[in-house]
Amino acid sequence: MNLNLNFQLDFPPFNLTIEQVLSLQGITGIFGHSGSGKSTLLRAIAGLEKDLVGAIFLDDSCLINHSDRKPKTFIKPEQRHIGLVFQDSRLFPHLNVLGNLKFAAKRCQNRRLDFNEIIKLTELSSLLHKQVDELSGGQKQRVALARAILAEPKLLLLDEPLSALDRQAKASLLKLMLNIQKQLQLPILYVSHSMDELQQVCDKLLVLSQGKIIGYGGIHQMIHQLNYTQNYALSHASHNAQVENDLHQQTSLSLPIKTLDNGHGLAVLSLSSALDEQQEIYLPALAKNTEPLHEQTLRCFILASDISISLIEPFNSSIVNHLFAKITALNSQGNKVLVTALYGGKKKNGGEKKGQEQIFFVNISTFSQQQLALKIGQSVYLQFKAGAVRTYLY
Amino acid sequence: MISPDVLALVTTLKMAALTTIILLLIGTPLAWFLAKMQSRFKVIIEAVVALPLVLPPTVLGFYLLIAFSPQYLPGQLWQQATGQQLAFSFSAIVIGSVLYSMPFVIQPLQKAFEQLGDPLLEAGSMLGAGALDRFFNIVLPSTKASFITAASLGFAHTVGEFGVILMIGGNIPGETRVLSIALFDHVEAFDYAQAHLLAISLLAGSMVLLSAIYLLNRAAPKTPKTAKKAKGK
Repeated sequence: MNLNLNFQLDFPPFNLTIEQVLSLQGITGIFGHSGSGKSTLLRAIAGLEKDLVGAIFLDDSCLINHSDRKPKTFIKPEQRHIGLVFQDSRLFPHLNVLGNLKFAAKRCQNRRLDFNEIIKLTELSSLLHKQVDELSGGQKQRVALARAILAEPKLLLLDEPLSALDRQAKASLLKLMLNIQKQLQLPILYVSHSMDELQQVCDKLLVLSQGKIIGYGGIHQMIHQLNYTQNYALSHASHNAQVENDLHQQTSLSLPIKTLDNGHGLAVLSLSSALDEQQEIYLPALAKNTEPLHEQTLRCFILASDISISLIEPFNSSIVNHLFAKITALNSQGNKVLVTALYGGKKKNGGEKKGQEQIFFVNISTFSQQQLALKIGQSVYLQFKAGAVRTYLY
Repeated sequence: MISPDVLALVTTLKMAALTTIILLLIGTPLAWFLAKMQSRFKVIIEAVVALPLVLPPTVLGFYLLIAFSPQYLPGQLWQQATGQQLAFSFSAIVIGSVLYSMPFVIQPLQKAFEQLGDPLLEAGSMLGAGALDRFFNIVLPSTKASFITAASLGFAHTVGEFGVILMIGGNIPGETRVLSIALFDHVEAFDYAQAHLLAISLLAGSMVLLSAIYLLNRAAPKTPKTAKKAKGK
């Protein structure tokens, strides 16, 4: 499914100018600071913003066409078959949980989904007869999510659905989202200002800044691209954007799980190189129910500030992870240097084997860079503790 | 033979009930329109709607009397359409009451619609509910308390009307002679006993009605709480 966006919208203090074709598969994240226009973008797709110039197409069907030449088209939000979960739930206060869910199911024409199955999937059985104002924040969003799904949309939009929740509720809803996406094969556009959340669930990422798209691509690739643009427009916004912003320079990974617990409280992932070597990556042990997600792979990230560089192989060290890598870029950012290093690159003398290259990002001080005399092309050892390999969900 | 005061009571209730129904029918869309309106002219329309609150009823009655008379267009049109004179008829006092009680119905509804805001309506449309569906299944249940208030205030205020009716309705038993006019008649005839009886029943009736409204409103306090929160952000 393709979403073809080509429009402009007045969005003080700037214009929202969007020109992009999104291929909707899995979960697509939309990242940006408050005021970057990401919620407005969702509202335009939903049909809640009408005053735009341009057009939006979902596959071949025109949702809105307000360009100059052709006759104007506007499909009302209720006829778009697009679901939207709002930040503030927006459950109907005059109905209980069941009433809210039935509201959606009644108005759905296809009824392909089984009502009870969705309730089971969203774990709402015990809450059906509660009043809306008796629910916790996390429960409200679960109801809102179930309600949106029961309308059986072609596309589901999530507008910061987790921002009002605590960490635990966030993690459990993220797992639920992954599960729903997988079971229903429902394309999702997920707006958030939290990269931690997006990194865990998204397949692709769209980055907005000041009303413009500054990047669109695979999740890991986009996160890595953002490492280089730390001081870019994202941090323009307001002073409190600094606080709100949990965007850190990091290496974002999806790695096959070898063991959930090796008996010493560590889980093991495997990282393969182009040379077909297997490198083990250790991290704190994972709970047993982790496996089914992401087809036996684990989404994890390592902060650039959590990796250090050594010129000799650190054998006698409590730091369990160390990799041999080659420096491909050095970017100085103030008194720090962002080192880009490639693990598992191809053999120079014509090795044909296909495998995986993995970039790692390391943040060191300019002092260390001078001490070690690091240069592009140099081979080094990257080392990081098991605890530095993080995952937001588990 | 039915007593004149009972007849006046029946006329009053008939007038008030009809007025309330008409006001809900035209007042709801008007209140909705005002709540959603963003034009500069909103203030002017609001002022016109609120005018009966400050205007002496006799002023409104005077202009209506002129308009309803057969010499002027509204009165003429009415006479052509129905074959009857508009001034000094039951229809005249209903039309007068509709205008006179309008702010009592429109204002609470407008306020409720403004407070409800767009959030729940947007949620409704994202679930496939069209405009009428949203009105009947989201707006109406969420603002039920305000509808009860609006209807009761409109009804009670119409029952208590005097000046407008005296001007445009006169005092025709079974047609335009309502309780407030009957009371005035008794006083003019120095029949204070009957006057007391009517006055105390009107007082008690209004008291009961108003208490019932406040009781109902307290029983259903959950009007648009979520809407307010969403607006604040």
